[in-house]
Amino acid sequence: MTVAETTGAQRRPALAQGSTSGRRRVRRSSPRVPFLFAVPSIAGLLLLMVYPTVYLLGLAFTESNLALPLQRWTGLTNFTDALQSTAFPGSISRSVVFAAASTVLVVVTGTALALLLRARGDRLGVLGVLLLLPLVTPPVMVGVAWKLMLAPVGGAFTGIWSHVGLDGFNPLGSSTGAFLTLLLIYTWQWMPLVTILVFAALLDVPRDLVEAAQLDGAGRIAVFHHVVWPSIRTTVWAALLLALVLGFKVFDLVVVVTSGGPGFSTMLSSFFIYRTGLQNSYEIGVASAATVIFVAVVSAVMAIVGIARKRAVAEA
Amino acid sequence: MSRLSTIARPLGLRLALLVIGLVVSLPLLFLVSLSLRSPDDVQNGGWIPSRFVWANFSNAFDTIPLATMARNSWIVALGAALLTVVIAVPAAYFAARARSGQRLSGVLLGSYCAPPVAALLPLYYLFKDAGLTNNVLGLILVDGLANVPVAVWLLEGFVRRIPEEIEEAAWLDGLSAGATLRRIVVPLIAPGIVAVGLISLFLSYNEFLFAVSFSQRTDSQTLTVGLSLFQGDHTVQYGQQAAASLIGVVPMYVLAVLAQRWLVAGLTAGGVK
Repeated sequence: MTVAETTGAQRRPALAQGSTSGRRRVRRSSPRVPFLFAVPSIAGLLLLMVYPTVYLLGLAFTESNLALPLQRWTGLTNFTDALQSTAFPGSISRSVVFAAASTVLVVVTGTALALLLRARGDRLGVLGVLLLLPLVTPPVMVGVAWKLMLAPVGGAFTGIWSHVGLDGFNPLGSSTGAFLTLLLIYTWQWMPLVTILVFAALLDVPRDLVEAAQLDGAGRIAVFHHVVWPSIRTTVWAALLLALVLGFKVFDLVVVVTSGGPGFSTMLSSFFIYRTGLQNSYEIGVASAATVIFVAVVSAVMAIVGIARKRAVAEA
Repeated sequence: MSRLSTIARPLGLRLALLVIGLVVSLPLLFLVSLSLRSPDDVQNGGWIPSRFVWANFSNAFDTIPLATMARNSWIVALGAALLTVVIAVPAAYFAARARSGQRLSGVLLGSYCAPPVAALLPLYYLFKDAGLTNNVLGLILVDGLANVPVAVWLLEGFVRRIPEEIEEAAWLDGLSAGATLRRIVVPLIAPGIVAVGLISLFLSYNEFLFAVSFSQRTDSQTLTVGLSLFQGDHTVQYGQQAAASLIGVVPMYVLAVLAQRWLVAGLTAGGVK
């Protein structure tokens, strides 16, 4: 269910380093690696994961303000308030749609580009450098750059818009337009990650198998289906899970590009929680209850996709 | 196979890749264009500045406290990267070699799947009480710890690549576990450590949710917060905003290009397969 299990089936891309032998399924468990080595990371988990989870539940069932948390037990009031608010229920389904759609987009375009690059040769070349740039750009800045580029006045395409009779066209002006634009920007940023990962896996596809299949008269689609796909399948699924995790984390882009609008059309749950808890109304209890619900939904989606991955990868 | 198609296919491929390369760099090229134009010139739209103006770069430092914010971003990114590496290296060694190692990496990655906003409100109270809000130390702590799961995941792959015989020989020679880690394992996984350190550096430099939530005062705010502040301003200065963005991101690009080999190796060698 976690990405950890994706490391279960072992196969290493040869892109990185020469030696690919040496990994064993069965390890001698050595008594010489003390538990002490794991302690700092576990302490980190306690601080960043366990403590917040417990405290969050406390906040969700009580009344709090910014200065004083956990004032009064309120039962399920925060939950009903969150679910009856105008923005929250929609934000949940929107977050799920965004995560799902962005995952499909990022994985499909990323894999396609990796295949294109592999057809050219066994190096990423100049494009390899270019592909790293979106990945290391702060999402806030990605949002700024795209927002400036799409601005109806002074944007990059104002000339093109007026040429095709769409003077002052603003893709962020409509609900659907704004949501699709966010998806597009997000795909621009994260597609390269999938490309880099899948390209590495493609380098491991046995050449002789591909050639043998071609000699047997297999077409390009047949070669992909029977030779290429089986050896990149685990990587693509792992990339898909990673993309899904990232898709649920989106926050910065919303703040910078749309502030959740127009209306609530791009209000994703993380932005709702931030705005409700720390920015507009300081309704800590409602924001906490919303967080609990959001995390539950994310976990459920991750679990379902995790099971699907397990089945797909096991079907070899 | 006709002669034409053997020539045309690579050509079409190259053309497609060229277009993709262009699309990838488009927003960045536009930022450069904007940063070199006066406000009037920006209004005219298009791509080519009618006259090159350098004032945006110096003016951006007056509009927001850019120098302070850049300093804060670097402190947070370097501190967090260091914290991540110091915690993740022994944890990755444990994950790769100890009997319950797989359980550790499983739990760590499970925690990575949770959206960070889940920890936002609880950590806000905790950090406020501990004096860690409006404080770069708080961001170092939260960013550094948040990147540990990814770092362990990637480093584990590097540790597994070491033949266990080498460590066994070290133990037979009487080295303690700590000494084995320091003197045998760390040098052998050094490329992975560089990659993981850089990835943590980038992620922390780019972090926004905790940075904007935990810092209300400019003396502890980071660049990402500063760049987002341009937005709220109604007299938005596109040119200055673009200039400030470039000042923030160019050092990262230089790092990424210089370290490209390590980064790609780190991303692909560790976990996803």
